[in-house]
Amino acid sequence: MLEAAINGLLGVLTPQSLGFMALGVLIGSLVGFLPGIGGPSTLAIMLPFVMTMKDPYLVIALLVGMDAVGNTASAIPAILISVPGSIGSAATILDGYPLARKGQAARALSASFVASLLGGFVGPLALLAALPILRPLVLAFGSPEFFVMTLWGLTMVGVLSGNTPIKGLVAGIVGVLLATVGLDPKSGVERFAFDQAYLWDGIDLVIVALGLFAIPECIDLASRKTSIAERQEFGQGFWEGIRDGFRHWWLTLRCSAIGAWVGFLPGLGSSVADWFAYAHAVQTEKNKESFGKGDIRGVIASESSNNAKEGGGYIPTVAFGIPGSTSTALILTAFIAVGIQPGPDLLTKQLDLTFAIVWTLALANVIAVALCLLFIKPLAKACFVPFYTIVPLIVVFVFIGAFAANFSSYDFVALLAFSLLGFMMRRHRWPRPPLLLGMVLGEKMELYLWISTTRYGLEWLLRPGVIVLLLLVAASLFYPMLKQRRERAETKAAILQGKTTAKESHAQD
Amino acid sequence: MLRIEKSLFTLLILLLLSWAVYIAKDWPLRASIIILVLGSVGIVLSLVQLISDLISRTASAEESEGIAFDAPALKPEGRWGNLEIWGWILGLYVAIHVIGFPAAVPLFVLAYAKVYGAGWGVSLILAALGGGFLYGIFERLLHVPWPAPLLWSLI
Repeated sequence: MLEAAINGLLGVLTPQSLGFMALGVLIGSLVGFLPGIGGPSTLAIMLPFVMTMKDPYLVIALLVGMDAVGNTASAIPAILISVPGSIGSAATILDGYPLARKGQAARALSASFVASLLGGFVGPLALLAALPILRPLVLAFGSPEFFVMTLWGLTMVGVLSGNTPIKGLVAGIVGVLLATVGLDPKSGVERFAFDQAYLWDGIDLVIVALGLFAIPECIDLASRKTSIAERQEFGQGFWEGIRDGFRHWWLTLRCSAIGAWVGFLPGLGSSVADWFAYAHAVQTEKNKESFGKGDIRGVIASESSNNAKEGGGYIPTVAFGIPGSTSTALILTAFIAVGIQPGPDLLTKQLDLTFAIVWTLALANVIAVALCLLFIKPLAKACFVPFYTIVPLIVVFVFIGAFAANFSSYDFVALLAFSLLGFMMRRHRWPRPPLLLGMVLGEKMELYLWISTTRYGLEWLLRPGVIVLLLLVAASLFYPMLKQRRERAETKAAILQGKTTAKESHAQD
Repeated sequence: MLRIEKSLFTLLILLLLSWAVYIAKDWPLRASIIILVLGSVGIVLSLVQLISDLISRTASAEESEGIAFDAPALKPEGRWGNLEIWGWILGLYVAIHVIGFPAAVPLFVLAYAKVYGAGWGVSLILAALGGGFLYGIFERLLHVPWPAPLLWSLI
């Protein structure tokens, strides 16, 4: 293992890898602090370029570096203008913006960077700590267990990734079915290809990702046509913020652990990591009445968790090939394209690549924080870039990226079709990540199900590992639904009680 | 109106899933197993969703609860809302076919920036950036074969 760790580090420290990592960090930071452009959209745009690269270390350096730092810079607009650069920094607003209004934006920003840095180390440490446990577990798994694991990943993302669990599950299933389009390699059956040679190889994931995520974001950005907010001053307390970051190390550590755990669970992701950590800080810290009014601990809690979450998200991705989020689903696509095989291979034969991911996660955070600290003022100015400078460039990059997938004019038609689907899904609040995840997992699910059925008949359903995992699937399916129903009933009861009390008091009057 | 649109979208998904399962039932089991198993579950779930869409009185009662993983759609500004940008996207698609990628990209960027209020200087810089990216990365570095424009065949 030590040898793999050293090899991984050496692979990451080559001048080329460092160059690509710096590029990834730069793009990730840019995307992070520009509200309206999501990390997944940019990763989707990057996929066509990355797939032409041969060296897996360079792919890891670029994509993992980019993914690891998105939340670091997103704190800048969250604190300065109360608009999070990415969804992972939403909780930072609660205390960051009031601090900025008090003239302590510099303090809030520097504290958030230190918290991001520390949280960014906890994530890869969690991944590192999980390796010895995951290795024997993954090696003990057979096709039936892997099938149920993929099913679990899909149900988790489906149920948890939206406000309506049924929509999430259906979107995941649609994704799996889309993955079956094309010629079946074993039976030779043409599935949903309409006699079109273009569809024989299946639908390209790059085009689906671009259509589902990049174009709908552009449409939102273009339709809004407004400037983000009025200018905000930096204020005082830069060094005090750095001291704050280290002074509250215990809070940082706890919130980072929460972030890593949330990242590990497929489907939750950074959209909730910061809220969980913030809620934890409010519940456990003393003098909680200052939270929400400009308490530096609120910023630290949110920012440490959202960076730690990234490392945690790689645990199921590396071990089982089940991405924990949309970003890791896209990165997984690129990994597979360049020959990085998640699952047993990445924990045995390609262990040095797993270590390369760990090192990249840690190093990218250092680079991002240094970048943010050094160029904080010019970086923040980019928050005020008008929409007409960003939208046309993104649309153009998306079209070029889509064409580069297959060099076919049909790519544009597919892009427009998936853009419309992504737009409609967003408009009607259908979660898009499960669809993408379904497409990523579809091929594996089909293979595992087929091997399990042909080898064991229906007896695979009685294997102890399968039963345990099926129970987890059932729990992840029904628990959130029951919880939601109970909460709804409680709210209804509270409203009814309120009405009765109001009537009684009215009658007394 | 939005409720009808929402229900129609769910109905479309239900019909697509039903069609997929119907088509797949004649295929060998190797090719159809996952479609039959998951597709059937999908049909039941989308039917439940459709009923829920049709009977729910308030559009967002259920959606206001739980964890919002996907970013909510923003309200478009102005009379034409989202249609404007769809028009631009389709315009780029047509332009690529008619005048080719190398000409369509800078032209699209220039026109978009200029129409929405950028000065000539900024618009030209942006157009050069788009065109330069296309030429530098794709043409020189990756040697991407662009599709022949329609205009060439007409000339």
